[in-house]
Amino acid sequence: MGLGKVFIFLLAILGTPLFIVIAALALLSFYAIEIDLSVVIIEMSRLADTPLLLTLPLFIFAGTLLAESGTPRRLLRLSQVLLGWMPGGLAVVSLMVCAVFTAFTGASGVTIFALGGLLYPALIKDGYGERFSLGLITSSGSLGLLFPPSLPLILYGVIAETRVDQLFLAGIIPGILMVILLTAYSMVKGPVRSPEASPKATFKDMLSALREAAWELPLPVIVLGGIYGGFFVAGEAAAVTALYVLIVEVLIYRDISITRLPKIMVQSMVLFGGILVVLAASMATTNYLIDQQVPMRLFEIIQEYISSKYTFLLLLNIFLLIVGSMLDIFSALVLVVPIIIPIAEAYGINLTHLGIIFLTNLQIGYCTPPVGLNLFLASYRFDKSVVTLYRATLPFLALLMITLIIITYFPIVSLVLVNLRG
Amino acid sequence: MDSLKKNFSLTLRFVSRIEESLLCFLLSAMILLACVQIFLRFFFSTGFAWAEPLLRYMVLWAGLFGAAVATKKGKHISIDIISHLLPDRFNPWLQVLLNLFSTVVGSGLTYAAIKFVRDEAYYGGRGLLDIPSWGLNLVFPLAFGIITLRFFILACKYLGLAFSQPRTSSNG
Repeated sequence: MGLGKVFIFLLAILGTPLFIVIAALALLSFYAIEIDLSVVIIEMSRLADTPLLLTLPLFIFAGTLLAESGTPRRLLRLSQVLLGWMPGGLAVVSLMVCAVFTAFTGASGVTIFALGGLLYPALIKDGYGERFSLGLITSSGSLGLLFPPSLPLILYGVIAETRVDQLFLAGIIPGILMVILLTAYSMVKGPVRSPEASPKATFKDMLSALREAAWELPLPVIVLGGIYGGFFVAGEAAAVTALYVLIVEVLIYRDISITRLPKIMVQSMVLFGGILVVLAASMATTNYLIDQQVPMRLFEIIQEYISSKYTFLLLLNIFLLIVGSMLDIFSALVLVVPIIIPIAEAYGINLTHLGIIFLTNLQIGYCTPPVGLNLFLASYRFDKSVVTLYRATLPFLALLMITLIIITYFPIVSLVLVNLRG
Repeated sequence: MDSLKKNFSLTLRFVSRIEESLLCFLLSAMILLACVQIFLRFFFSTGFAWAEPLLRYMVLWAGLFGAAVATKKGKHISIDIISHLLPDRFNPWLQVLLNLFSTVVGSGLTYAAIKFVRDEAYYGGRGLLDIPSWGLNLVFPLAFGIITLRFFILACKYLGLAFSQPRTSSNG
């Protein structure tokens, strides 16, 4: 039994699909306590009782469509025209665009691939250092995870059974805080330019860029306004977003031909399927762990050494940073959230606040050496060694850590908007 | 033997076609149905009572068949920290091991799923729209069955690769 688990763990780090690993553990565990194996599927079928799940495939589809269309280019042009005149303008533009784009596509590396390729040459041309530019793009690749309608936020809501509208609200100020800190740093590090290097955008330019992106600008309003105006629940907001993006990109901008649509649909359902099976498999293991009271026993052990909530949060941060640098965000959430939640509740931590802490950590974990995913994606995309990227990302990492500390120890930052709405 | 192989690959391609059409259909239907619900509620303050539960099952079907296609495309989420440290020539063997293991676990899941659906057929009632509940849950054995088969095919494929690659050392 113990040997079997070691074997499974070994296969896991050799690259076995994660859902197979989790399912193997579930089957083995239930077999050991002589419970009929169909319980594994019974647990999975409980996913059909989760209304929030509908948001995942629909937002994934909308995000994939946006990534495949001309949206990144239009968004970039618009923000460059509006913000490019500032000191460090292009860097600020990169941050904003990446944040918005990641919020809509989830942090599946799409941002680095779709936007990085446009941003990196532009940054270099504008006189930014290579190291700065690489670090900026790598760390922005997951910026925006805290903004609605980010998929990891929704997934946390599904697993933790927390209200997703509150999570969306809770992420806004912490997300803005991150963007502001990184923006300030970029302004300081930006190149001193001669005025003729890039001509100031004229009013006419602004108007034409605005008009070009006119159909995409209402998107955040549809999502947020729809949910907080009380018009739709999250699942419906996702459906409206998907339909809207479909009409805009296929029929109005015609960036995507109808014949390409089936491929994109399959592609987004493959992405969703990958997440769903991990979630499904973990339903069974979670049930087993809760049944065996593993979280409560863990809590008792931890509490023997740590009585303060703040020390616990510090340890949690360290733990999550390590997890975040090893696992991608979806599997990290699925595996860790169910175990941590009972413990965190016992320490009296608000679950919405906990969600923001989780996501901030996992976001930073994406760019944390040695194995943060963004580092590898950027290394692959820009053909630089991973070590170069380690060094390039370090200052950005430091800034993100500062926001992490603020977010962790000042719950009010996350909860103020939630409380305001009552 | 050759015609058997040809028939087999034809069948596989047929399955892929059906899967992909099913995914497109489910996704479009989910978007439409959810939007129609909003429309009905806004303008007529009504809606279909069966729409919401049906949508939730459609999500399950879309996700599990998406996972079946993900198996074919090698797009499953995995941790994979140390496999790139291995020398290249071990890679096919590693893939054989991983895919065989996945086949075994997949068979376990398929077995559990068949048992679950059989129990539902005996004891489960009728679900929404008068569809028996085993029918709604049929996706589990179907999808896990396809996934298992695909892992097995991948294992065989890599086994062939492992034997056909040129040998660089004699200690096997």
